[in-house]
Amino acid sequence: MSKMIRKASTFEIVNHWILAVSCIFLVVSGFAFLFHLEQLNTVFGSFITLKNLHNWVGVVFVVSLLATVSHYLPVALNLSSEDLVWLSKGGGYIVKNVKLPEQDIINSGQKLYYLAILGAGVLISISGFIIWIAPGSRTLVLISHLLHNLSFIVFVMAIPIHAYLASIANPGTFRIMVQGTVPLEWARKRHGKWVKRLGY
Amino acid sequence: MTNHWIDFKNANVILVMGSNPAENHPISMKWIMRAKERGAKLLVVDPRFTKTATKADVYASLRSGTDIAFLGGMIKYILDNNLYFKEYVAKYTNATYLVNPDFKMPGELNGLFSGYDEKSRKYDKKTWSFQLDENGLPKQDPTLKDPNCVFQLLKKHYSRYTIDKVVDITGTDKNKLLEVYKAYASTGRPNMSGTELYAMGWTQHTVGTQNIRAMCIIQLLLGNIGIAGGGINAMRGESNVQGSTDYGLLFHILPAYLPVPNAALTDLSTYKEKTTPKSKDPKSVNWWSNRGKYITSYLKAIYGNKATKENDFGYAWLPKLDVGMNASWLNLFDKMLEGKFEGFFAWGQNPACSGANSNKTRKAMSKLKWMVNVNLFDNETGSFWRGPGLNPKDIQTEVFFLPCASSVEKEGSISNSGRWAQWRYKAVEPIGGTLPDGEMINELQKRVKSLYQKEGGKFPAPIINLAWDYEIPGGHGQFSKIDIHKVAKEINGYYLQDVYDKKTGKLIGKKGDLCTNFVTLQDDGSTSSGNWLYSGSYTLKDGKPVNMMARRKKGDPTGLGMFPEWSWCWPVNRRILYNRASVNPDGQPWNPKKTVIKWDPNKIDPATKKGTPGWVGDVPDGPAPPMSDEKNGKYPFIMKTDGKGSIYGPGLADGPFPEHYEALECPLQENILSKQRINPATKLFHDKGKGKDEDVFYSCDMRYPYVASTYRVTEHWQTGLMTRHLSWLLEMQPQQFVEVSMELAKEKDIKNGDKMIVKSARGQVNAIAIVTNRFKPFKVAGSTIHQVGLPWHFGWQFPEDGSGFDSANLLTPTIGDPNTMIPESKAFMVNIEKARG
Amino acid sequence: MKRKALLISPELCIGCRACQVACKSWNQLDGTRTNNRGTFENPPDLTPALYNKIRFVEVPSEKDDMRWLFVSQRCMHCDDAGCMKICPSPGALYRTKEGAVVFDKDKCIGCKLCVAACPFDVPRYDKNDKISKCTLCADRIAENLEPLCAKTCPTGAIKFGDRDELIAEAQKAGYQKVYGQNDLGGLGALYAFKEPPKFYGMDDKPQIPDSVIFWHKVLKPLAVIGLGGAVAASLLHYAVVGPKKDKEENNDE
Repeated sequence: MSKMIRKASTFEIVNHWILAVSCIFLVVSGFAFLFHLEQLNTVFGSFITLKNLHNWVGVVFVVSLLATVSHYLPVALNLSSEDLVWLSKGGGYIVKNVKLPEQDIINSGQKLYYLAILGAGVLISISGFIIWIAPGSRTLVLISHLLHNLSFIVFVMAIPIHAYLASIANPGTFRIMVQGTVPLEWARKRHGKWVKRLGY
Repeated sequence: MTNHWIDFKNANVILVMGSNPAENHPISMKWIMRAKERGAKLLVVDPRFTKTATKADVYASLRSGTDIAFLGGMIKYILDNNLYFKEYVAKYTNATYLVNPDFKMPGELNGLFSGYDEKSRKYDKKTWSFQLDENGLPKQDPTLKDPNCVFQLLKKHYSRYTIDKVVDITGTDKNKLLEVYKAYASTGRPNMSGTELYAMGWTQHTVGTQNIRAMCIIQLLLGNIGIAGGGINAMRGESNVQGSTDYGLLFHILPAYLPVPNAALTDLSTYKEKTTPKSKDPKSVNWWSNRGKYITSYLKAIYGNKATKENDFGYAWLPKLDVGMNASWLNLFDKMLEGKFEGFFAWGQNPACSGANSNKTRKAMSKLKWMVNVNLFDNETGSFWRGPGLNPKDIQTEVFFLPCASSVEKEGSISNSGRWAQWRYKAVEPIGGTLPDGEMINELQKRVKSLYQKEGGKFPAPIINLAWDYEIPGGHGQFSKIDIHKVAKEINGYYLQDVYDKKTGKLIGKKGDLCTNFVTLQDDGSTSSGNWLYSGSYTLKDGKPVNMMARRKKGDPTGLGMFPEWSWCWPVNRRILYNRASVNPDGQPWNPKKTVIKWDPNKIDPATKKGTPGWVGDVPDGPAPPMSDEKNGKYPFIMKTDGKGSIYGPGLADGPFPEHYEALECPLQENILSKQRINPATKLFHDKGKGKDEDVFYSCDMRYPYVASTYRVTEHWQTGLMTRHLSWLLEMQPQQFVEVSMELAKEKDIKNGDKMIVKSARGQVNAIAIVTNRFKPFKVAGSTIHQVGLPWHFGWQFPEDGSGFDSANLLTPTIGDPNTMIPESKAFMVNIEKARG
Repeated sequence: MKRKALLISPELCIGCRACQVACKSWNQLDGTRTNNRGTFENPPDLTPALYNKIRFVEVPSEKDDMRWLFVSQRCMHCDDAGCMKICPSPGALYRTKEGAVVFDKDKCIGCKLCVAACPFDVPRYDKNDKISKCTLCADRIAENLEPLCAKTCPTGAIKFGDRDELIAEAQKAGYQKVYGQNDLGGLGALYAFKEPPKFYGMDDKPQIPDSVIFWHKVLKPLAVIGLGGAVAASLLHYAVVGPKKDKEENNDE
C-alpha cells in the first residue's frame, strides 16, 4: 500500500455530486422540452411537474455551482504558458508518452473545463431565470432563450467527455469523487506541482 | 317603414340621413352592404363621420338641425334639372291640385305661411285648402302649369333654396352637396330606386315631422314610394317600437291608429262622423272610410257582451281628451312638476335618464305621492329620490318596484320596423319570482276591478265592464297565469254572430270563428277586433286556428326578399306599402326587373285552374283593377282620403311645405332664409323670461357656444339599463364620452381621454373627451361653428361607483316638434371645459 | 379534411363588435373593468379574457374623406406557427385537422415562450398562468358549426369556410393579394385588404423571430449532434488510444 493523500474534501465530493445529478437532470429534462419526450411522463407524471422540477433543480444547480467557486476558481484562473504547453500536447491523451508540464491540483484541461462549466452555468442560470419570470420584453426573452440553448449545448458536450475522462479514460480518478483520497505516487505523476507544494 | 329591411338590397341609391344604421341598426347593414355589392351607391349625410359613413360612397356633413335646408335644395335641384318622374308625379300625387289663391308662403310672409297667429303660436289653416269643384273634389291642372297648382307652388317655395344659400346654412361642402343631389336625383328614372333611412336624427328636432315630409316630397317626385328598394324608412329605436305604436301606446291614438276621442265627440256616431274622412271620388279607396267598422269592433273586443248597440257599444266608457289637449311626454312631466299627478306607473322606461331635460323629470317625480317602477332592474327612476342633488328626507314619494320578466322569459309577438309581427317563444322561466308584464296587468285589473265592484267610485263602468278572459283556469298560487294566445286571438278578432255579405248574402264567417282579416269586420257589433291592422294575424286555416306570426317558411317567389310566408306583416301580409304605385296606371311595373306587383289579365286561379284578371306578386293595396280601368280602377295611395301622395300636406301644424327654421337653441342670431328664427308653431315652455326655471334656454349665447347632439352607441340600449349591467358591453363602452373635433380640442387644449364637464342652460354632465377627426367645424354664414356629440346611455345609479357618469339628457331642452312633441335632443347648445380632479 | 379559415374584410366591417361579445359568450370569458381612454376601442389590448378584439383606426386625409377602419385582431392560426414551434410541452398547443391552432390548458406549463415567438403578439396568460387565445372555435367546428364570430357578424366581414374557397372568393371580389395567403406557410385568418397591410396596422411580412428559426434549425439539431459527438468521441478515444496507464507514464520518466 502506498501512502494516500487527500485530494477532495467531503464537502467538495458532496457538492460535486449534487452538481452532477442536478445537471444531468436538467439536461435530460432540457432534452424532453426540446424534443417533446413524453416518455418522461411515466416518471414525472406531467410536463408541468417536469417544468417545476426543472426550475427548482435549476436553483439547486446554481447554488451548487456557486459553491465550487471558492476552491476551483482561483486555481483555474491561475493560468500560465505551461498550461498552453499541456494543452498543445493534448494532455497526453492523444499521443502517449509525451512530456507534460507538472500540474497543480487540477490540470490545464480541468481548468478549462471548469471555466467552461462555470461560464456556461452562469449563462444558462441567468437566461433560465429570465425565461422563468417571463418579463414583458419579448426581445429579452428571445435572447435568453437563445443563450439558454447555446449554453445547453456546451453542457451536453462537456458532460460525457468529463465523465469519460474522469472514469475509464483515467483509472484511479473516479475514487477522488468517492473517497477523496489518491495514492501519493499517482498524484505525483499527475499533479506534481501540487504534491510538491504539499511538501512530499 | 313603407318597406322592410331586406328590401334595402333592392335599392340603387341609399340615402342615410338622420340615422346611423351601422351603429344603431347593425343588422340592417347586411342588406345595405348587399345593395352595395350589386353596385348601389350609399350616401351618408350626418354632422359626424359615423360608422355608416365609413361605408359611404359619398359622405356629406351638415350642421345639426339644417336637414330641411339640405333637402329643400335637393327639391330645387330635382325640379330645376327636370329629374322628377313626370308620369308618377302627375298621376299619383297631389301635384296637380289647385290651392286656395289666398295661400301665402314664407317667401312672401318672411318665414311664415298665411294664417299665423303669433299669440297662440298656431296657424289658422283656412287658406291652406284646395280649390274644390262642384262635386267637392280638388280642382286639378294635369299640365302642372297653373300658378296655384301644388307643383308650381312647390317650385316657387323651394326657389329660395339656392345651392349657395343651402351651404351657407348647412355648412356642407358644396361639391359634396351636389354629389349627393346628383346621385339621389338619378333615382327619378323608372328603372332606378332610391330609399331613405332615417331615425331619431330626423325626428328629434322642432322641425322633425317636416324633415320627414321634405323627404316624402322628394320620394314622390322621384317615384320612389311603393317600389322595391324605395320608400321612406324609419329605423325604429327599439325592436318593438313599431308594435307599441300600432297598439296605441301614444296618447292620441287607440290601437291601430284610431284617434282617441275628445270631449266634443260625445257619442259614437259623432265620433264616426267627425273622424271618418269622406271622398266623392269613385277612384279613391279612402280606406279610412272603414273607421266605423274598426272602432265598433274594437269596442266589442274590450267590452265584450257589455258593448251593445243600445249603449253605443260602450263608447261612453272610453277615456276622452279635452279638446286641443296634448298629453305627450313633455306636457305630462310639465304637469307632474306642477303637482297635477298623484301617481305614476313608469312601466319599462327610465324617464330619469331618457326624458329630455332630465333634471326636470327627476324633480317632477318628487311631486308624486306614489310611483310604481316596473323594470328588469332598479334604475335612476326608481331610485330618483336618492339621486344626485336630491335629499331623500325632502321627498315624500312612495316608490314601489315591480321586477318584471325579460323578453326571453315570456311568449308573444313583436313587430319590427318592417311591420312584421314575429312570434317569439319563451326560452327560460322568469327568474327570481319576476312576472311577465301581461300577468302584472292582469293582476292589476283584477284587483282594481274588484275594488270598484266592492266600493263603487266615481265612474266604475269602464273598469267593471272590461271583457277580460285571458286567465288560464286552475290554481296558480299567488298570481294567475294568462294565455297569451287568447290575447292574440282577441286582437285578430272573432265573428260574434254568423256574418253574411250584405250584397251577395254569402256567409263570410261563422259565429265564434276567428276573423279572416279586417276586410270582414263589421260596424254593427257582429265582429270584434282588438287591433284591426292585425286582423288576419291569427286566423282559421282549414277550420283550425293558425298563428300566422309563427310562420317560418323561407320561400321568396319574387326574389325581392319579401318572404311572404315568414311571420306575418300588417296589413294583410303586404310587404311593401302603397305597392300600387310601383306599377303604371295599366298595372305594369315601372321597373320590370323589380316587380313588386303586376296586373295579369290571365292570372291562373290555383283552385279552378282558370285564367281571370288579377294581381300577382306582393299582396296589392286592394284587389281593385289598375287605375286606368275606367269603371273599377283605383288610385294607389289608399290610406289617403283622395288616394294621392301628398306633395302638399295641409294637415300639419307648421305648414303644407317644409321650411327651414333653426333649432330652439342655435348658434345663429338669425335664420339665413327668413326673419323667422325658430319653428313658429312650436310650443315654448319658456319665453321672454316667462315660464319655469327648469325650461330655460339660451340661443346664440357666449356661455354656450357649441352645437351639441345626443346619440347612441352599438354597445348600449336606450338609458343603458339592460346593457350597463352586462360587463361584456360595459367593458367596451364604460363611460359617458363627448366627441370633440381636433380643431376645437386644439383651441381649448383638450387631450384625448381628458375628463370634461359639458354644460347647457339646464344642467351639466361629466364625460371623457374623445378628440377625433370625425367631427369637423362648420363654416356657416362666414363664421366657424363647432359641434360636439355625446351618447345618452349612462346614469348615476350603475355602475355603482358612478364611473359611467350621468345622463346626457341632463343637457337637452324642453321643446318639441309641434306635430309630435318629440323633444329636440339632436340640436342644442353647450359649453365644454376640463373637469378639475 | 380541407383546411378551414376565416376571411376578414375590414371594408365590410362596421365596428359593431358583436363578434367581440359573441366570442366572450361562447368561450365564457369574463368582462373586465375599463375606462374610456378617448377612443371607442376597448379593452385596450387582447387579454386572457379577450380572444378577439376590433381595433379602431382613424386615418385622417387632407384630400379625400377620412377613413375609420375596424380591424379584427386575434390568433391567426399560422400554418408555420411560432408558438407551436417553441412550445416545450407536448400537446399544450396542437393543430386540429381543420388547421386551427388550439391549446390544452391541462398541458400548458406556463413558460410563456409562445408569447415571445408569436409574430402577432397574440397569446395571453390567465391567472393560473395558462395560455389563452382564439381557438377558431375548434369545439364548434368539430360539431359542424361555424366559429361564433363569423356566425354573429351581420355584414359578412368575418366569413368562415374552406381556406381555398375563401381565397378564391376574395380574389374574385378584386383582392389580388390576400393577406396571409402565403405568409407563415399560410394563415388561418386571412384578410382582404384594399390598402397595404401597414395601413391597417399590420406587418407587411409577418415573421417568426429569427432567433427562434435559428434555434429550431441549428441549435436543436446541434444539441443532439453535440451529445452524440461527445459520447462517440469518448468511445472512439477509448478504443483507439485507450486509457492512461501509470506504467506508461513510468516509462516516460
